[in-house]
Amino acid sequence: MSAINNNCEYISKKQIKIIFDGKTYEAYDGDTIASALLRNNIRLVGRSFKYHRPRGIYTCGIEEPNALVQIISEHNEPNTRATIKRVYDGMEITSQNRWPSLRYDFGAINNILSPIFSAGFYYKTFMGPKGFWKNLYEPLIRRSAGLGKPPKNFRSKSTHQYHNTDVVIIGGGLSGLAAAKKFINTKYKVLLIEQDSYLGGVLKNSNKIKTINGLTPQEWISETEELILNSKNINILKNTLVTTYNFTNHLIALEDKFAGKKIDLNKSELTLHKIRTSNTIIANGHIERFISFRNNDLPGVMLASSFEKYIHRYGVVPEKEPVIFTNNSSSLSLLKTLISLGCKPKAYVDSRKKDNIETEIKKILKDKEIPFFSDAEIEGCDGNKKVETIFIRQGKSFTKLKSSMLCVSGGYNPDIHLFTQSKGLVKWDKNILSFKPDTPFQKTITLGSTSGNYNFKKLCDEINEKLSIFKTKKVSLDINLNVPNKFSIKELWETKKKNNSNWSKSFIDLHNDVTTKDLKQAITEGFDRIEHLKRYTTNSMGTDQGKISSINSLAIVSKMLKKEISEVGTTTYRPPYAPLSFAAIAGRSTYEFYDPERKTSIHSWHLKNNAVFEDVGQWKRPWYFKASENETMHQAVQRESKMLRENAGILDGSTLGKIEIKGRDALEFMNLMYTNAFSKMKPMTSRYAMMLGEDGMIKDDGIICKISDQHFIATTTSSGAPKVLADMEEYLQTEWPHLQVYLNSITEQFSTFNISGPKTREIMMKVFPNIDFSNDAFPFMTFKNFDYKETKIRIMRASFTGELGYEIYIPPKFGLELWEEIFSCGKEYNLIPYGTETMHLLRAEKGYIVIGQETDGTVTPIDLNYNWMIGKNKKDFIGKRSLSRPDTSREDRKQLVGLLPINKKDIIEEGQHIVELNELPKKITNPIKYLGHVSSGYHSPNLNHSIGLAMIRGGKNLLGQKFFVTATGKTKNIPVEIVNPVFIDPENKRLTS
Amino acid sequence: MILIKCPYCGERDQSEFSNGGEAHVIRPKNPGSLSDKDWGEYVFYRNNPKGIFYERWVHSHGCKKWFNAVRNTSTDQILRVYKVNEKRPDLSDFKNTLKSPSGEPLVGSGNFAVKK
Ligand SMILES: [Zn+2]
Repeated sequence: MSAINNNCEYISKKQIKIIFDGKTYEAYDGDTIASALLRNNIRLVGRSFKYHRPRGIYTCGIEEPNALVQIISEHNEPNTRATIKRVYDGMEITSQNRWPSLRYDFGAINNILSPIFSAGFYYKTFMGPKGFWKNLYEPLIRRSAGLGKPPKNFRSKSTHQYHNTDVVIIGGGLSGLAAAKKFINTKYKVLLIEQDSYLGGVLKNSNKIKTINGLTPQEWISETEELILNSKNINILKNTLVTTYNFTNHLIALEDKFAGKKIDLNKSELTLHKIRTSNTIIANGHIERFISFRNNDLPGVMLASSFEKYIHRYGVVPEKEPVIFTNNSSSLSLLKTLISLGCKPKAYVDSRKKDNIETEIKKILKDKEIPFFSDAEIEGCDGNKKVETIFIRQGKSFTKLKSSMLCVSGGYNPDIHLFTQSKGLVKWDKNILSFKPDTPFQKTITLGSTSGNYNFKKLCDEINEKLSIFKTKKVSLDINLNVPNKFSIKELWETKKKNNSNWSKSFIDLHNDVTTKDLKQAITEGFDRIEHLKRYTTNSMGTDQGKISSINSLAIVSKMLKKEISEVGTTTYRPPYAPLSFAAIAGRSTYEFYDPERKTSIHSWHLKNNAVFEDVGQWKRPWYFKASENETMHQAVQRESKMLRENAGILDGSTLGKIEIKGRDALEFMNLMYTNAFSKMKPMTSRYAMMLGEDGMIKDDGIICKISDQHFIATTTSSGAPKVLADMEEYLQTEWPHLQVYLNSITEQFSTFNISGPKTREIMMKVFPNIDFSNDAFPFMTFKNFDYKETKIRIMRASFTGELGYEIYIPPKFGLELWEEIFSCGKEYNLIPYGTETMHLLRAEKGYIVIGQETDGTVTPIDLNYNWMIGKNKKDFIGKRSLSRPDTSREDRKQLVGLLPINKKDIIEEGQHIVELNELPKKITNPIKYLGHVSSGYHSPNLNHSIGLAMIRGGKNLLGQKFFVTATGKTKNIPVEIVNPVFIDPENKRLTS
Repeated sequence: MILIKCPYCGERDQSEFSNGGEAHVIRPKNPGSLSDKDWGEYVFYRNNPKGIFYERWVHSHGCKKWFNAVRNTSTDQILRVYKVNEKRPDLSDFKNTLKSPSGEPLVGSGNFAVKK
């Protein structure tokens, strides 16, 4: 019992070394991990998902349910299919889901305990008590049931590529190549996509076909490939798997750029192709299915066509004397291959009646004296971590054979995965005992075995007929076969067991460890709809999506329900066809490229001056500036706030949204968009304004500068700018197309500095000696334009801190220079830079609101007591009508108030509730009456105690009353007094000084 | 990912567009004259039919233009696009689009047996 090498042109004779579970093995360049392991007689490669049963290599392709490994040398990539991953020199691989080692796996005790792990086990067992799931069950399950370990410090490079084509051909096998041949030198732009690194499909994987048009399969492939490559309109993508078939013929395919090569960290590893096509031709063939029998998961059990593929495609005969078990005519191909190599199967077991078995098979078996069992089946097999003995049932008699490999064929399923993803309808075909494509939903054509056509002689007609919608020439295929032309199969899904034991199991889903017994149990418990049954048993829910077994389970279930398979139906096929890593989907949108970072022109200065940044939308804004290494945020904010009210401070306000509104009807438009009345406003003055939704709730605020009736500049909140512009644009286009107004985002056209504090005027006079900053010449809420060096600036007298303040607008190119100039002039006045946190504290002291902090989409200007902002005489503005709706004009709405702690040492925390109780009961039996919440809470360095802004029910009428605020981790509440929300300078003396 | 034909730019990927909900909901000319009920219906009430739906789209990552589309919400097929100032197509234009009373496609799911 050992593997032998076969001559094969797809494998180079260059010997390389790979490491599996710490041991070094010889492999050939061109091998997959699986073919390399088989070459070295390694059959045990993993442990199963739930029961930790020993598992081997079951298939030779994408459908593999067992042989999943972790690639240590590729960022620890887990769950890699050993059957498709190509090796390279020095590749390091480990097996998965075993501890401490593959041979001695502790978790295998799950197999002995398996009666408690049956269908619905997770649902039934891990139910309560509360908290147990998160803290105990889930971590436990994740550790013992699972796949590979997630990669650490992972940084894959993948790129995305877009295509627009007329025709995509999925699959470069016989049908795909013949279809592509029709498009040679035509006007159609064609993309031919092949998953393998070689074209040919069945032609290179088996010896089913002797000759095509008088050429050997290999000659025909080479000739066709060359013709295609010379045709300028057809492109071939190899090592590329189509994973997704979306609406409107949108395909997603993943290309492995390093198949069989060591990853180059400087190059893109994967390319995700996003393809838009007019027509899709699916020719990705079929997938062989298994048969369920006792211990059908033992290492050594392999699909028959996969066994044959290893011989032809990878040049390795996994075993010289396997037992062949089939229910159909296709296994003749494997039999002939083995005979031609001088190998002799131990037995040929065919479930078909002797009369129905092809004469050629019977002749070979007789000539070569191979034990032949017709109308027979494999009852099961036994062995320690591998197949050792095989039991054959023929009628009532049993035959026991010794063999280490068992090749199984349960028939073929057309690979309808992509077709059903495209929303095409499938139909049950009694002749092939499988579902095949029926009515397409999109412009989709299926060819060859994908369409359920297993007759090679009819392929040529099928292609010419189905592709007659294209203007192409006829293609001719004269095919000479090694296998019978007519496909013959006998229905067989599961063989009968001789006796029961907990160890022996008959699996229906190898990946998720679902047995045929689980299906029976689920049906007994009432899960008789296929979609329910799938979720309850987890059948076909693994990463292999039940490719070799899902049809078998439908058949078994339909038998139990005494229904036709077509009545039971299939579960929904969803993309992706095979797992694709998140790294491929993310492409270049990772880390710093995930979301762009927006930086102001002053950013480098902030960095130099120890700013700690806060993300506001995509903007990086200084949160606070550290005066020393050890200064905490609280200390910095207290210092900045105090210094500003004593001297002066400057904030980089460049992130504020700025929108220019211009045109004949600009005034009318602004009157409609904002609550305020702008008609009587004088040119070159500004006003604090609010924008509502039609529901009357505050959406955004900002300062509006009126240059003339035809020209305004509006500022918005830093994160609200795009939405405000989009809303303005929407109303202009959809509701008021008669208004002649043009909008322009000018956020990034200006650097903006907010300078404020009692010493501000002196600093401004020093920076701009030619400008008159006196109160008469430059009153509050006015603005002016000036020439400054070789540019122009705009200065506005406004403030968000409650102190005397100015806003300076300058093109960003000159921003940093002016900022530094202000600092050199401000030095003697102790000018400090401050961040957003200090801005928030200062505005709270002054009782100014912040959108998104005091407001949450349920707050009107009336709730904030901002009635003065509402242009009551205006006939209409967005949201005006809603302000008089009964719900909006309720007296007991949550309204803005200020909070003062009665004991000045108490701290009012943001987000806490306002209640009537001074202490919370030990055990809460009845809901505690909730009056409102603290929307802003700060320690004011200027008042030397805590202050709060709060939204309280009927708050306007509660001034002077005492309530309580809850506190983190305490049952004792903080007594507070409801006050006017302006804590500093209520007369606005500082503002207008 | 569906394709949407912007009336100004042509066919583009869905990711370039934003949906704006039901179309042909006109903002009242004189909101002050409306009853609370009528105004409330304008602000809060929208149709959400299964089948033919007249809806608004904006080419937000393109020309930024708003336009209207007729979409079959059960198949996601966009049957017609037209500019904001163009006449609303008649419902009878799409009579043949609906293969079943609710607009549920006859073809469109592999799970046909369960649907019966
Ligand atoms: Zn457009």
